[in-house]
Amino acid sequence: MALGVAGAIASALRLVVRQAPPPPTAGGWRELSGPDLR
Amino acid sequence: MSRFAVVGLGAVGARAARQVHALGPPDELLLTSASAARAEEVRGAIGGPARVAPWDEVLSSAPDAVVLCGAGQPGRAAAALEAGAHVVASTDSLSDIEELLGLAAAAEGAGRMLVVGAGFSPGLSCVLVRHAAGRLDSVEEIRVASSGTGGPACARQHHASLGRPGPEWDGSAAGWVRPPAGSGRELCWFPDPTGAQDCYRAELAEPLLVHAAFPSATRISARRAASRRDRLTARLPMLRRPHQEGLIGSVRVEVSGRSGPLAESHVLGAIDRPAVAAGAVAALAAHWAVEGRLARSTGSAGLASLVTDTAGFLRQLAERGVKAAAPVGAGG
Repeated sequence: MALGVAGAIASALRLVVRQAPPPPTAGGWRELSGPDLR
Repeated sequence: MSRFAVVGLGAVGARAARQVHALGPPDELLLTSASAARAEEVRGAIGGPARVAPWDEVLSSAPDAVVLCGAGQPGRAAAALEAGAHVVASTDSLSDIEELLGLAAAAEGAGRMLVVGAGFSPGLSCVLVRHAAGRLDSVEEIRVASSGTGGPACARQHHASLGRPGPEWDGSAAGWVRPPAGSGRELCWFPDPTGAQDCYRAELAEPLLVHAAFPSATRISARRAASRRDRLTARLPMLRRPHQEGLIGSVRVEVSGRSGPLAESHVLGAIDRPAVAAGAVAALAAHWAVEGRLARSTGSAGLASLVTDTAGFLRQLAERGVKAAAPVGAGG
């Protein structure tokens, strides 16, 4: 409980920097076309 | 003679009316709005067969299909079914959607189709789920995420949904569960330029609509992108008036399962102004209902159950400028 509250406060104050995972879409997005829509 | 009606001419309704006309002009297009000035404005923009009509006249004119936007959709859907019309409801409100699904018997009795949740999310999201699932032999998990809002009604619904728990399907445990709203933070990668957004549980209708199409899936969940302010104020009245129309919105679906011996996961997404995409989806669903292109001709269901030719549906949407996308090189 205390840990959770401390974590929430730290997160709110941005004391903890969340490390975002690498984007699973690093190659970008492509529009569906041709064979995708057959 | 073909006759369509669009009821409620806000951000979504005005686009739906235009798309109903663009997808193959009906002989008559009836437009109903609480605001006479707004109805006249939309009629002037469409021209041709469009004319302004009160709700009573819509019912008495025996339209082929009625597209419902705005408030009071369950009541209007029941009346339109009784009048012999196919009905497309664009609502994203969970309570409305539950009520609309409850009209299945009335729709079957009338021999008409009631398409439920035909908008951007739910709506396009349901079609994307079905399309992604088509690449799998069996579906195990479905995850939907959305970002952005359409007009003011959509923004209010978005705000309220973040403070109320919604249904999730957990077939390995209790079945339907309702985890707290705002829990389950997940970083979801939407198509550019939306990119990565923190998404949370909320009162969303996709699990309900998608489960009907994929009852054997073990888990079905939905998340909605929200800022810290959104989450902090979700249980309060909106602190300021909603904007006339949101900017860019996104949907992202991830469908996991088995293809032969392999475990696979397929991701699809779309990015557009939510009201524009919702209008196009609702209008196309109405045309497909009238043309008999949906999987069923009577009853009440969402697009994940009704659109089996997902490629054809997405192709026609792309022609209207609403394009689906897949990530490059990552299960797309």
